[in-house]
Amino acid sequence: MKFVISREALLRPLQLVAGVVEKRQTLPVLSNVLLEVQGQQLSLTGTDLEVELVGRVTLDEVGQEGEITVPAKKLMDICRSLPDGAQIEIEQDEQRVNVRSGRSRFTLSTLPATEFPNVDNIAGEKTFTLEQGSLRRVIDRTSFAMAQQDVRYYLNGMLFEVSATGLRTVSTDGHRLATCHVAMNGPDTAQQIILPRKGVLEMAKLLTDPESSVTLSLSTNHLRARTENFTFTSKLVDGKFPDYSRVIPKNGSNVMLADRTELRQVFNRTAILSNEKYRGVRLVLDTDLLKVFANNPEQEEAEESVAVEYKGDALEMGFNVSYLQDVMSVLDTQQVKMTLSDANSSALLEEPEGGDAMYVVMPMRL
Amino acid sequence: MSYSVQSSQASAVSAEVPAVAEAESAAVTQRKVIHIDCDCFFAAVEMRENPALRELPIAIGGESDRRGVIATCNYPARAFGVRSAMATAQAKKLCPQLLLLPGRMALYRDVSKQLMVILQEYALQLEQVSVDEAYLEIASHLNATEVAREIRERVRNELGITVSAGIAPNKFLAKIASDWNKPDGQWAVKPHQVDEFVAALPVGKIPGIGPAMEKKLALYKLQTCADIRRWELTELVRTFGRMGAVLYERSRGIDHRLLNLERPRKSVSVECTFATDLAGEEHCLAQLPQLLERWHERVERAGWPAAALAPFVKVKFADFTQTTLADSHEQASEQGFARLLKLALQRENKAVRLLGIGGRTPEIDRNQLTLF
Repeated sequence: MKFVISREALLRPLQLVAGVVEKRQTLPVLSNVLLEVQGQQLSLTGTDLEVELVGRVTLDEVGQEGEITVPAKKLMDICRSLPDGAQIEIEQDEQRVNVRSGRSRFTLSTLPATEFPNVDNIAGEKTFTLEQGSLRRVIDRTSFAMAQQDVRYYLNGMLFEVSATGLRTVSTDGHRLATCHVAMNGPDTAQQIILPRKGVLEMAKLLTDPESSVTLSLSTNHLRARTENFTFTSKLVDGKFPDYSRVIPKNGSNVMLADRTELRQVFNRTAILSNEKYRGVRLVLDTDLLKVFANNPEQEEAEESVAVEYKGDALEMGFNVSYLQDVMSVLDTQQVKMTLSDANSSALLEEPEGGDAMYVVMPMRL
Repeated sequence: MSYSVQSSQASAVSAEVPAVAEAESAAVTQRKVIHIDCDCFFAAVEMRENPALRELPIAIGGESDRRGVIATCNYPARAFGVRSAMATAQAKKLCPQLLLLPGRMALYRDVSKQLMVILQEYALQLEQVSVDEAYLEIASHLNATEVAREIRERVRNELGITVSAGIAPNKFLAKIASDWNKPDGQWAVKPHQVDEFVAALPVGKIPGIGPAMEKKLALYKLQTCADIRRWELTELVRTFGRMGAVLYERSRGIDHRLLNLERPRKSVSVECTFATDLAGEEHCLAQLPQLLERWHERVERAGWPAAALAPFVKVKFADFTQTTLADSHEQASEQGFARLLKLALQRENKAVRLLGIGGRTPEIDRNQLTLF
C-alpha cells in the first residue's frame, strides 16, 4: 500500500475517525485506524466495537492498493504537527508503515488488516434520506437532555422515532425531557430505536454540510448514516425507552411569555448563588411579574425580578436552574413560552407558537 | 414517611455550614445521642449458642491455610493479643489454642435485626451504622443514662449478648463514649463536661484520624484536642485541608452531623482472597467469571440493572499494597471488568493476593421530582 495526500485532506477524516477510537483499549488493534487504498480512493476506519466510522477521501493520483492498520492517535498527532499544505507519503514496508513529508520521516508499527473487527452486516433495514441540516437540528435541540451513566442504561442515549411522515428525537434523564420533530418521507412502518450517547455525539460531528443529504438505515440492532464522505454505524441500545407522550403536560393553564434572552440572563445570574450541587432556584410568579431567588449553604442570596406576560394563578416553585438554562440556550426565538400547572407538576417550555421542539422540566421540592 | 426523611436531609445540608454561632444556638435545644456498639458481636452470638465457649479463646474468621483474617474474637482471645483484622496465621502464633469458627452470617444478621427492633422502641431517629452498631437520637426530656441502661438490660435478657453505650450531645462524642467503658458498660459525656472531656482527648480518638494523619499531626506537636484548639481555623485548613475544619470543630466537641436515616446504597462489590497468590494476568482474569457470578447475585438482590453501574476493580498485591481503578465510561460487563483489571494489574508487577469487583450508582438529589 502506498499513497500521497495533502495534510489537510487527510487530517479532517482522520480526526473524526480517531474520535471514535477509545484511548484505552485492551484489544490492541482497536487503538489503530484501518487504512485501505483502492484505485484513487482512500478509506480510513476506526471502531470501538460499538461505533464504527469510515471516512473516504479521493486521492489526486491512483495509489498502490493495500490495507493495513496503524496507531490512530500517533498518525493523527504526526499529521497535525506537520506544516500547513504539507504533502504526506504513506507507504507500507512489510510490518511497518513509513510516513514521509519534506524532510520528516516516521516509521509506525502496524497490525494486519485481517485483525480489524468488522461491524456485522445490517439485516432487514429501513432506509430514508433527509438533509444533514435537519438531522443535525433534531439532535442538537435535544442531545443536552440525555442521561450520562444512568443506571437506566436506555436513558444514556437518544430515541429516534421514524414514521412515514417524519423523524422525532427524544432524550431524557428522568428529570427533564427534550423532543424535536422534522417532517420527511419516512418508511411506511414506524420504528423506534435508541442510539447510544456516544453514537449520537459522534454522528452529529459528521453533519457539517446542512444542504447535503444523509441517508439513514435502521435495522433492529444498528443505525447507519451515510454521507458523501463518511459511513457511520452504531449499535443500538437494547431497551425500552419511556413513553415520552405520557409526560408531556397537556392541561397546563398557567401560561407565561417572556423575553428569552432576558430570562436566560436572569437564570445565569441567579445560578451563581444557587447550591453548587443541587442548583435549586425558586420561581415566584404573579400577574406579569416573575421573581427568581437563589441561595446557597454559605447563606448568600440572589434575587431577580423580570417583567413577563402572565395572567395565571400566583405560583411558587423550585427548579434546577441548569435545566432551565439548557432550554434557554437551545431555543432561538425572541420569546419563550412556559406552561405550568402547580408546584409539583412539570413545566412545558417551547417557542411561543409551539415550534418543532418541546421541553419538559420537573420541579424541585422547595 | 419518606417525606420526613427528605426534610431532615435538607436541614442537614444547611447544618453543615455554619461554625461557632450555630454551635451556641444548638446548645439551647440540647440533642441526646446514644451510640450502641455490640461487644465482640459475632463471638458473643457464638458464645450464646454454645456457652461452653465462654471461657475459651475463640475467634470468627477464615482458616490460616486459606490466609483468612480474624473478623471478631472474644475477650479471652484478646488477652493473648488477638485482634480483629489480624491475619489468622499470626493470631494462631500468639494464641496456639485459639478456637477458630467459620462464622454464620445469617444467624448474626437475625440477631442484628432483633437488636435494631429493640433500639427502634427508644429512638426518635435511628441510624444503623453496621450489623452491630447504631446511633439513636432520643427525646430531650428523657434521661439518656436510664434509657441506655434499660436498652443494655433488655438486649442482655432478650438476645443473650452484651452491648456498650455512649451518651453525648452529638455523634462524635457518643461514639467515643461507647468505647470508654467497654465491654458491657456505658459512659455519658454531659453537656457541661464536654469541654474538659474533649480537651484531654488524644487526636487519634477522633473518628477519621488514622495512624497516618496522627503522625502528621504529631509533626506539629498536635497530640490532644487541647493542642488543636490553640490553632486558628484558617491555619488548620491551610495545613490539613478539609480535615482541618473537622479538627477545629471536633477539638471543641462540636459535631453538627445529624443521624443519617436513609443511607442510599452507592455501590455493590464482592472480593476474594486467594489461598495462594496469583501470578500473571491470565490467572487473575480466570477468576473473573466466579467473581462476576457472585457480584451479579448481589446486584440482583439490590434490584439494580448491573449493566448500567459504573464498574471498579480492586487489586491487593502479595505485599498488601492495593490499588483500585474505576471508569464510569466502562460497562460493568465481563469485558469491562477485564479491561479495568488488566489496567490495574499493569500498575504493579507483583503477585496478587485479592481481587474485587464492584459497581457504583451516581449520586441523586431527592428534592428533584422525576418524570417517570
